[in-house]
Amino acid sequence: MITLFGKRIRLFRPKSIWIRKVVQWAFFILIALISVDRALAESGGVSIPFLANASLHAVCPFGGVVTIYQFATVGTFVQKVHQASFVLMIISFLLAILFGPVFCGWVCPLGTIQEFVSNWGRKLFRRRFNHFVPVKLDQVLRYLRYGVLAWVVYMTAVTGKLIFSDYDPYFALFNFWSSEVSIIGLVILGVTLGLSLFVERPWCKYACPYGAVLGITNLFRVFGIRRNVATCKADGACSIMCPMNIPVDDKTVVRDHQCISCLECTSEAVCPVAKTVQFSTRVALRGAK
Amino acid sequence: MTLTSKPLAALVVVILFGGIFFSSAMGWWQTESTKEAAKITSGEFAGQANPADIRGSYTFGNVEKNFAVPAAVLAEAFGVKDSNLAAFTVKGLEEMYAASAQEIGTSSVRLFVAFYKGMPYDLSTDTYLPESAATILRTRTLSGEQAAYLAAHTVPNPGTAPATSAPQTAPQATQAPAAQPTPKAETPAASSTDRTVKGTTTFGDLLGWGVSQATIEKVLGTSMPAAQVTKIKDYCTEKGLNFETIRPALQAEVDKVK
Repeated sequence: MITLFGKRIRLFRPKSIWIRKVVQWAFFILIALISVDRALAESGGVSIPFLANASLHAVCPFGGVVTIYQFATVGTFVQKVHQASFVLMIISFLLAILFGPVFCGWVCPLGTIQEFVSNWGRKLFRRRFNHFVPVKLDQVLRYLRYGVLAWVVYMTAVTGKLIFSDYDPYFALFNFWSSEVSIIGLVILGVTLGLSLFVERPWCKYACPYGAVLGITNLFRVFGIRRNVATCKADGACSIMCPMNIPVDDKTVVRDHQCISCLECTSEAVCPVAKTVQFSTRVALRGAK
Repeated sequence: MTLTSKPLAALVVVILFGGIFFSSAMGWWQTESTKEAAKITSGEFAGQANPADIRGSYTFGNVEKNFAVPAAVLAEAFGVKDSNLAAFTVKGLEEMYAASAQEIGTSSVRLFVAFYKGMPYDLSTDTYLPESAATILRTRTLSGEQAAYLAAHTVPNPGTAPATSAPQTAPQATQAPAAQPTPKAETPAASSTDRTVKGTTTFGDLLGWGVSQATIEKVLGTSMPAAQVTKIKDYCTEKGLNFETIRPALQAEVDKVK
């Protein structure tokens, strides 16, 4: 509380969901170590103890998605994809059905590095940050990732090869030293990180095929972002803070396919009114009314 | 029920690692290929390992174990001179043959193994073999279609690769016709005389067979390249044309002037 012109004013400082950052960076470090371990093992050097000698493809759940067609028709996996990818795909789907795309918001290392770069963009551009793309264009571009998804699944089914790895910025990020990475993959990674200075999570918003898959679960996830209209002050803080530019303040339940369940819009973080924007089941919202 | 960040974080971590732990306990968590090729499920070869499932990470030893093709034969076919042939990975061929005009790699090993074992293989795509591999295959039982495919998809062993030397393979090549009862494989040189339009056919071949430049350009829908030694297939690829559509049309024109 401060006193200003004789009036006592309570300053609201939005909290950050710090535990999300901890989880994100823990997974980032884990994936980086797995990738380094693999490189060491392949070069005949010493590998890191306690880490499975797995390729990056084996610990990517999207590999499971692209190999579904071949697995269903031939009974084999696409080149470089292993059973672990399938397991991770199922676990990620389970998480998504319960909580929405938490894999994107809490686990995916490419999302983490984009958010890291975006911190600089936010300091540079302040209020303009994440609002450079005209709204109408932005709304259209948001569906581009479904086109990417369709292309990747089709091409993988036709060729039987992990075609996306040549374009995948996630693969390029953790293998930039390897000859396996294509130039175009590195370029896409560079462009993604560059755009992160202006837009929060540009890859996730416009191009990520796995985000497109998981985003569909926002339509029916068990836990969702819910706004209590009765207590909402309609200050728009939730919408301003949303990294995915979702207008949370005009919804009672966020079913937007772009929500990543980061909780940054909730009363635990930016919303100044307690128990107004919550991550809850439908039953909890009814009880709050 | 309402969730805040800390319980959500705990649930995400527990479900993710719990799922991995559970799948590991059930034997489902495999981060590497088992090196056991998938079996063919139907037809004459049902139950046998499928050559199409050979991966780049397979070693020659893995191929030998799955398909009973000796690592030494694979080494001779692909010109590999390694102290430990069983440990040589199939994907290593791509690096060895990096200078080759056509890709020699995992697909080539799949094709070689399939032909060596007399098994069917999808011939709708172009997979190439070095001459040393083709020489070995000519001693095996090949169908007419396979022999024709082999003839059209053989490339010389590049001098840069440590390929099996010509003297080693030449005797086999000369013995081949006597040793095998199968249809004789066409040699690449024959492609310019048998008037069959293939991947190796050049524009010069077509003109030599009496097809006019105007007719060729009409079929292509575009002008011919200046260099007559250009392979039609390469030119189609360069121009974004489908060779498999162009080829029968050109063949029809060739047949007209026979």
